[in-house]
Amino acid sequence: MKRYSRLERRHFPAIYLFLLPTLILFALFYVIPIITVFFTSFTKWNGFNAPQFSFDTIFYNYKKLFSMSSFGKSLQNLGLWSLIAATLHVGIGALVAFILYQKPKGWKFVRGVYMIPNVISAAAWAMIYKFIFNNDFGLLNNAIRLMNPSFNVNWFYQSPAAFWAVTFTWLFYAVIVCMVVLADLMAIPKELHEAAEIDGASSVQRTFLIDLPLCRNSLGTSVIISVTSRIAMYEAIALTTRGGPGNDTANLALILVKAINDYNYGLANATAMLMFIFGIVVMLVINRVFRMNESVY
Amino acid sequence: MEAKMNVPTNVKMNRKANKDGFLKKPLTVGRVCYLIFAYLVLIFIVVVSVFPILWVILSSFKSNAAILSSPFALPDTFNFDAYISVINQYSFGTYAINSVIISFGATACSLLFFSMAAYVIAKYNFPCKSLIYVLLTLTLLVPGHTKTQPIFSLIMNLNLYDTKTGVWLVYLANGIAMSLFVLKATFMSIPQSLNEAAEIDGASFTRTFWQINLPLAKTGLSTAGILMFLGNWNEYYYAALLTSSASNRTLPVSLAFFNQAFSYDYTRMFAALTMVVLPGIIIYMLAQEQVQASVAATGVKG
Repeated sequence: MKRYSRLERRHFPAIYLFLLPTLILFALFYVIPIITVFFTSFTKWNGFNAPQFSFDTIFYNYKKLFSMSSFGKSLQNLGLWSLIAATLHVGIGALVAFILYQKPKGWKFVRGVYMIPNVISAAAWAMIYKFIFNNDFGLLNNAIRLMNPSFNVNWFYQSPAAFWAVTFTWLFYAVIVCMVVLADLMAIPKELHEAAEIDGASSVQRTFLIDLPLCRNSLGTSVIISVTSRIAMYEAIALTTRGGPGNDTANLALILVKAINDYNYGLANATAMLMFIFGIVVMLVINRVFRMNESVY
Repeated sequence: MEAKMNVPTNVKMNRKANKDGFLKKPLTVGRVCYLIFAYLVLIFIVVVSVFPILWVILSSFKSNAAILSSPFALPDTFNFDAYISVINQYSFGTYAINSVIISFGATACSLLFFSMAAYVIAKYNFPCKSLIYVLLTLTLLVPGHTKTQPIFSLIMNLNLYDTKTGVWLVYLANGIAMSLFVLKATFMSIPQSLNEAAEIDGASFTRTFWQINLPLAKTGLSTAGILMFLGNWNEYYYAALLTSSASNRTLPVSLAFFNQAFSYDYTRMFAALTMVVLPGIIIYMLAQEQVQASVAATGVKG
């Protein structure tokens, strides 16, 4: 069987040469790290000696992780943040997309401006929010004090305000959700709307019975993106509350960085494995729930 | 007969209404409520997106006392003292240059590497092609932080800890999946006949890529390049992890140190924040359409 013509074969060396740099980067920064993380998460490894493996201590790091108080709180936070991300955050993004889809006056301006918080550094954004939520001169508290002069909340430093302060740094900024859903909406064939209009569907019916079900793929993608970015959230916490007060805003990325700084590599990789698994689980579940593999039209 | 006539005119009218935009539809109570609600949402979105940054920029021109006593007030004068002080006394320039070198260097190299890969995937048939493409795009699903320890150890073992080269090397691998999506689509849109003609004229493989395909892929290259650049320019996690000395610090990392140095000097802190944030916003404004289109298509940035 001759699958490739002689002309095509002649190019093989050049083709693989062209792929080489990308494949080296892929191996160096994806394949080897993921394999390392997987295997060493089952070993005792302090970063100075070689990783030590024995079947007695196979779950040593995981047991240690599960017994940490910050871990329980991290899971709880991740659960609540994921829930907020999948409902409110995606909801806001989708709502804005549906409004922009009608092309009201100034929709391009809104679309352009909405992206700005996303093109600046997450570190800078966290810092900006730290000042916005500052009790003395922050925008938020001073605005609230216009109505309630005795208002005093040290957002990032007291419980339970800190959790919500961290939440507000990302809650409204659903521009990626908005763009993905908007692209999906724009792809809905005009004929469908015309047919609906002939059948006498109101615009509310059209929105909820035609548009919304038809963009379930982009909604699913949005939920996946939003929830996985909650798993990976780091700057918004590390530069504001650092996980505090107490463990109020603890999360897995923070535990991971602390473990690396303590040369506790085994523990760090066990944490990384969990983040990885959570990501995959979220993706599979959402894929199933939104039936993303079936064709829409 | 009448009924038959009515339907098409109705549709035609509505079609026209759709084209004119949604304000032209007949106003009912429900519609007015909807319009009010829609505009409230949009105004809210604009306010939360712009106000924080605007406030920081404006506050950087106010005195520390003015920031503390009247946070809403506009600055009286635009004096750049805080900016000059941050640049002269706190080696802001070094951080800015580091950021520029690392982001530009990494973006340029990865753009070349990824466009080479995307080009052969788009234009040629070879064994394992779809497997390679799928594997490379699957990298999108790997959360960046999970590879922290192996990457940290790799940089340590290469003796690149606390060097610009180390950060640059890590950034090289950023954005593989997004760039391949964008670049592969671009190369596929270039007619195959150009390659055939080049082949007949005896152009080499590299020359066909470099002189014929690359110039025609400008839009895709700039889109992928801008997104990767923004990602690298804004990256904090690995830059913070892999550097320790001030001489290798990038701008996002410097913010944390400024925060300590300027603990109660908000004017200078805001000046530093403004200078870190503005370049990204300016680049975005210059390339708005491209950034938006690719975010809509791939769902990722950087």
